[in-house]
Amino acid sequence: MNRLTFWRLLPFAVLVVFTAPLLIVLSSLFGDYSENWSHLFQFVLFDYVSSSFILVIGVSILVLILGTVTAWTVTSYNFVGKNIFEWALILPLSIPPYILAYTFTGLFDHYGDANNLARLLLNLQNSTAIFPNVRNIYGAIIVFSFTLYPYVYLVSRSAFINQSRSMKESARMLGLNQFQVFYKLALPLIRPAVIGGLMLVIMETLSDFGAVDHFAIQTFTTGIFRTWYGLYDIQTAMQLASLLLLTVGVFYIAERSTRSSGIYTSNNSTFSPSKEDSLVGYKALTAFLICFIPIFIGFILPIIELILWAYEVNLEFFNQKFISSSINTLSLSLVTGMICAGLALLINFSIRYKPSALVQRFSSLLSIGYAVPGLILAVGMVQLLVYVDALVLSGLDIVITGSLIGLVLAYVIKTYALANSSIESGYERISSSLDDSSKLLGSSGWSMLSSIHVPLLKTSILTSVLLVMSDVVKELPATLILRPFNFETLAVSTYIYASEERMLQAAAPAIAIVLIGLIPIVFLSKMIRSSRPAH
Amino acid sequence: MSNLILEIKNLCHSYSEHALSIENINLEIGSRDRVSILGPSGCGKSTLLRLIAGLEKPDQGEIKINDIKVSDNKNLIPPEKRNIGLVVQEKALFPHLSVFENICFGIKKNKDKDLIASELLNLLKIDSLKNKYPHEISGGEQQRVALARSLAPKPNFLMLDEPFSALDEDLKETLYKDISQVFSDMSSAILLVTHDRNEAEIMTNKQIRMEEGKFI
Repeated sequence: MNRLTFWRLLPFAVLVVFTAPLLIVLSSLFGDYSENWSHLFQFVLFDYVSSSFILVIGVSILVLILGTVTAWTVTSYNFVGKNIFEWALILPLSIPPYILAYTFTGLFDHYGDANNLARLLLNLQNSTAIFPNVRNIYGAIIVFSFTLYPYVYLVSRSAFINQSRSMKESARMLGLNQFQVFYKLALPLIRPAVIGGLMLVIMETLSDFGAVDHFAIQTFTTGIFRTWYGLYDIQTAMQLASLLLLTVGVFYIAERSTRSSGIYTSNNSTFSPSKEDSLVGYKALTAFLICFIPIFIGFILPIIELILWAYEVNLEFFNQKFISSSINTLSLSLVTGMICAGLALLINFSIRYKPSALVQRFSSLLSIGYAVPGLILAVGMVQLLVYVDALVLSGLDIVITGSLIGLVLAYVIKTYALANSSIESGYERISSSLDDSSKLLGSSGWSMLSSIHVPLLKTSILTSVLLVMSDVVKELPATLILRPFNFETLAVSTYIYASEERMLQAAAPAIAIVLIGLIPIVFLSKMIRSSRPAH
Repeated sequence: MSNLILEIKNLCHSYSEHALSIENINLEIGSRDRVSILGPSGCGKSTLLRLIAGLEKPDQGEIKINDIKVSDNKNLIPPEKRNIGLVVQEKALFPHLSVFENICFGIKKNKDKDLIASELLNLLKIDSLKNKYPHEISGGEQQRVALARSLAPKPNFLMLDEPFSALDEDLKETLYKDISQVFSDMSSAILLVTHDRNEAEIMTNKQIRMEEGKFI
């Protein structure tokens, strides 16, 4: 194979591997339907659909309110703490929904810490509970909303910053008050951006397994898991997974189309950034609370609870199991990060080196994995590995089903988009005239990649490895299914302890997950600070 | 005219279906010629240089370098195998390499690379910048480094695409003088693209006017 063919074929070859598990899952729709399917169809499928629907609607409403109102508050007003709130409002992104769910039950169950404290303070009897039960769909709505609202906050804030001051001032002159300017003018103008953020929230909600499983809510993901591990029927599990995949696909397409449609922004060359109104007194307090409450519920409260749990077991959590889970997690995430960064580098280079509209279109499909629920990837991956073992490796006496290969491959498919976005934006900053000069000086292909692009992309490569690592550390359902026997990661340890209601022991791995999850938040917060109108 | 080093016949190229960027260009350059192509922005001058360099593929016509066909609508010898130097307005210095490393980039495998680089540093009066990085030197100095880098592999001929247009007038005058001297000392041909008649007259001995993709 000559080098031109290699660079042209690379994206297609990777696409085949990335989409194979998904195509295997979808192909199940054309296979046989067992009695289990009939049972599910008659008795529980409606529950899966209705719970998922209520969850999506509830989370969407709450996330829209939290995301847009906080974004409007920090972009339109000046008040105590505003500079901190601007970036602190994304902190809840570092807490996976399942960890917030565990801390919520630890706090708000009948004998949870919050109810115990309230009874102590108010001198009430043990039978009295101040806070309501959260192990239900409403609790799940709150959990998802307070961990996922930053997706809407981030896009809304960026869109509000780009709205012209003169436009808002004209609206005020035409008789609209501050609140009317927000909901009649500013909000409709950022609608496409908000819808894009909301689609991501919906995809995350539909993909979740850990939180809904902890709250015992019947959704597609819990249904797939039970069908497979309870009824041992992988065909029916794949058929259920196909339905979920098709549903997620609709939201994925909607999200992509909102990206291409863009947002309504001022194209006036005399654009002036919005002026912030300074608030004092009760107005400043209200703005403070609007921003503080989401951070308190989505980040501070779970962190306090986790620290209290960890403190209660002293240093006992720091045992052999915790150390081995940490090493397993870090090794897996590092390997995945390096593979994703390497692949993203090669594919972006191939697009740049041999530009072709077809290659570019196929390469953009490689990012589809971020929208696919981990559970579906796991189901498809197991089947793919079984086929590979049976058809390719049978003569070699090698079995890869149940090995780490499948798990790493699933991680790579799921997180490739994160690595790609970092490397892609790094490449945008390298002038094509450098490539021309390099070629004319006799350095092309691998030589250009290693001597010019890699040194210039060092920061982007490092960022992409870190972003992937922080996401892999949080991943639960695919890890749970694809891990080798007795192989534990921090997420699996947290899940197992929490499912055994051993919350104190779950604290240490959960804190470790949150700490690693803070890595991308640091990058994002830097971007937020540099994107203030004054900059 | 001395021996032909560049021969272009009936060259046509377009970036889109409806607009030709280069239309039926014919050009011959001898091994010691210093030719400039004068024309307004967007007339196709830079595209012509990119076609000669092998960075674009022509739709029609052919390009020969040293009597070897390097481009036609079917075959394309890649840029790295043409031994042509190109200096562009934005200099395109590699930001992670020092001045010395930039100059040596195209002659990494040459055992005399240190000597060649030192001679060029001296010739272009940039010896003191040897260990500096592109962001640490001025625009005029960067242009001298870009020129030294292009000259290091001893190219068949050198192409310059608006190399001085981003510089101020005083600096241009100094560079014209210094670089004209360098060109006089060199044995390779030069093809300069510019919109500045004064620059073309000082730097080259033959000027060709180009408009809307055609020589006029």
